[in-house]
Amino acid sequence: MTIENISGCIGCGRCVHACPCDVIRIDKESGKAAIVYPADCQICHLCRMNCPVDAITLSPEKTIPVVVSWG
Amino acid sequence: MTTTEQQSGPTRRAFMAMGGSAAGMAALGVNAGWGQNTSVSDASAFTTATHDCDVLVIGGGMAGLFAAVKGHDAGAKIRIVSKGRLGSSGLTPFAKGFFAFDPAQEELTLDEYVAAVSRSALGTNNPVYTRQTAEHSLARVEELKAWGFFDSNLYNKSFMTPIEARGIPLHERVVVTHLLKDGERIAGAAGFRLDAEEVVIFRAKSVVLCTGAGAFKPNGFPVCDLTHDGTVMAYNIGAKVTGKEWNDGHVGRAKNPAATYDGWGDMFDRRPSLEGVGIRHDLGVDANYLAYKLGNPVEAGPGSGPGKNVAGGPFRPVEFADNGPPPGPPEAAGMGDGPPAGGGPGIGGGPPGMRGPAMGGASAGMSIHKSEGLVPINDRCESNIPGLFAAGDALGSHMCGAIYTQIGSSLAGSAVQGAVGGEAAADYARDVETPILEETELAAVEEEILAPLRRKAGYGPAWVTQTLQGIMIPNFVLYIKKESILSAALAYIEELRDHHSPMLRAADMHELRLAHETSNMIISAEMKLRASLMRKESRCSHYRLDYPDVDDENWRAWINIYKDESGDMRLEKQPFDTWPAQT
Repeated sequence: MTIENISGCIGCGRCVHACPCDVIRIDKESGKAAIVYPADCQICHLCRMNCPVDAITLSPEKTIPVVVSWG
Repeated sequence: MTTTEQQSGPTRRAFMAMGGSAAGMAALGVNAGWGQNTSVSDASAFTTATHDCDVLVIGGGMAGLFAAVKGHDAGAKIRIVSKGRLGSSGLTPFAKGFFAFDPAQEELTLDEYVAAVSRSALGTNNPVYTRQTAEHSLARVEELKAWGFFDSNLYNKSFMTPIEARGIPLHERVVVTHLLKDGERIAGAAGFRLDAEEVVIFRAKSVVLCTGAGAFKPNGFPVCDLTHDGTVMAYNIGAKVTGKEWNDGHVGRAKNPAATYDGWGDMFDRRPSLEGVGIRHDLGVDANYLAYKLGNPVEAGPGSGPGKNVAGGPFRPVEFADNGPPPGPPEAAGMGDGPPAGGGPGIGGGPPGMRGPAMGGASAGMSIHKSEGLVPINDRCESNIPGLFAAGDALGSHMCGAIYTQIGSSLAGSAVQGAVGGEAAADYARDVETPILEETELAAVEEEILAPLRRKAGYGPAWVTQTLQGIMIPNFVLYIKKESILSAALAYIEELRDHHSPMLRAADMHELRLAHETSNMIISAEMKLRASLMRKESRCSHYRLDYPDVDDENWRAWINIYKDESGDMRLEKQPFDTWPAQT
């Protein structure tokens, strides 16, 4: 994983706007930030640094999606 | 389609609900390659919003900030559009060194400074732009100080200060995919919103591209949102592009190679600071040559420091020998400029505070800052398309040349050129009529924008991007070049261009962005390979195993790339120290 979890989110949306790679979106149902596109995370921590309540935890590890044999 | 300012399309709820499951599919790799397209965004339900302005600034980094401010102050009605957020996307948020040439403090005169840069750059720099950055840098510093730029490690707040004070409209999270023309001149741009099913049209008398450069979404450098969008959009409407054969030699870490924050030490956490004159010969491909000969990463790989020399490799002027990091604390250097821990900047430019062995290729697909992008036809950041300007890493100003010559000049150059380009665009807009956008042309553009959503089946952009990375990023393709490999790689890239790019599919707005980014990276890859094949010599950050020497007789020239009338990619030489003849 890249962004490991978002815990204690207040739904302000700053992380959505701060992410250069569009990894995070606000979930329509819960109103909280959700990790929607982890494959595109560059682990730059801008989401964490912009979060007003320190809700975001990141890992330096990243799992790349499996590539199919041919396309 | 209907025209409206409404933010949400009717299927937004369904689209957001599907977001989670799309992520799950991505993690499993299900949507990676060829397959059916189960789109959750309904291309037929899109609305269209149209906005007018005198000058459209595309991009929200340091160049875009100053283009908007100076264009406004010159009397133009401005709009800024960014696919990210002002001061929080592209390379700007990670650039912390700002070059300021203070004549009262420096031992070198301005003339001597420009001459020294030209010697290190082996003539590849455009001395007009080298001088301009130095000459205007202090004035930009004073403005940034007043906005609070130097008081925080995060830039959005200070960037918003002058934008809000001037009431400049800001369109964030809008992905621009097309530049529009009215006859021969620029007429605006078109794209789509990430957060709504909406096509966005900007009608503008003038456009300043502040879109940064780009790379191939490599691991280890925070450049994955930059994919040469501005360069390729401009190329597609006839603009000339330069500098594609050069390479940037930033490194990442061998451990957790995707973690740009972990690899780049405190560059993310500290506040920006000023840099004085310190002319170097940094971030070239010396380390790539060592790695090619001796292995990567530990023994003599990138970041392992001077003293592990092997015969041959890129030519480095004796005057600019690699003597390790410049004087001063390691945190004094800026992102994109930084001296490495335990090695000279010539050996890859490892990040300050970097722990463990370094690896090359972290910025694969990017040229030296300011050395690639639109060809300027004068000192006002103007391109060969009337009304189209570019600034910062989107402008091939060759401010530093084809090797990184001045710490902190990347950020300073973006500020200076943004200001120059914004004023020039405002001047241009003052004298021209509002352009006319033909309905038939707009309909065709909208069709191209939404095409990946409409495809019933096709290639996932993630799969095509990974294939592109496999072709382009190897050290023996992108950095240590030779005819046979470059030609082979070009054959693969042409296949992606002709067969895969037209079949890219997108399930939602995020993938639609990826699809357009992937197409742009493919064109940039073709440019890099063709320019690298054409330059049959080695100079600065371009190294050919089969032409290892500097060839001053034939190659004191830049390579410009343009699309001819039949749509083919053409290359031409432009001698150093000249402006291009307009065609």
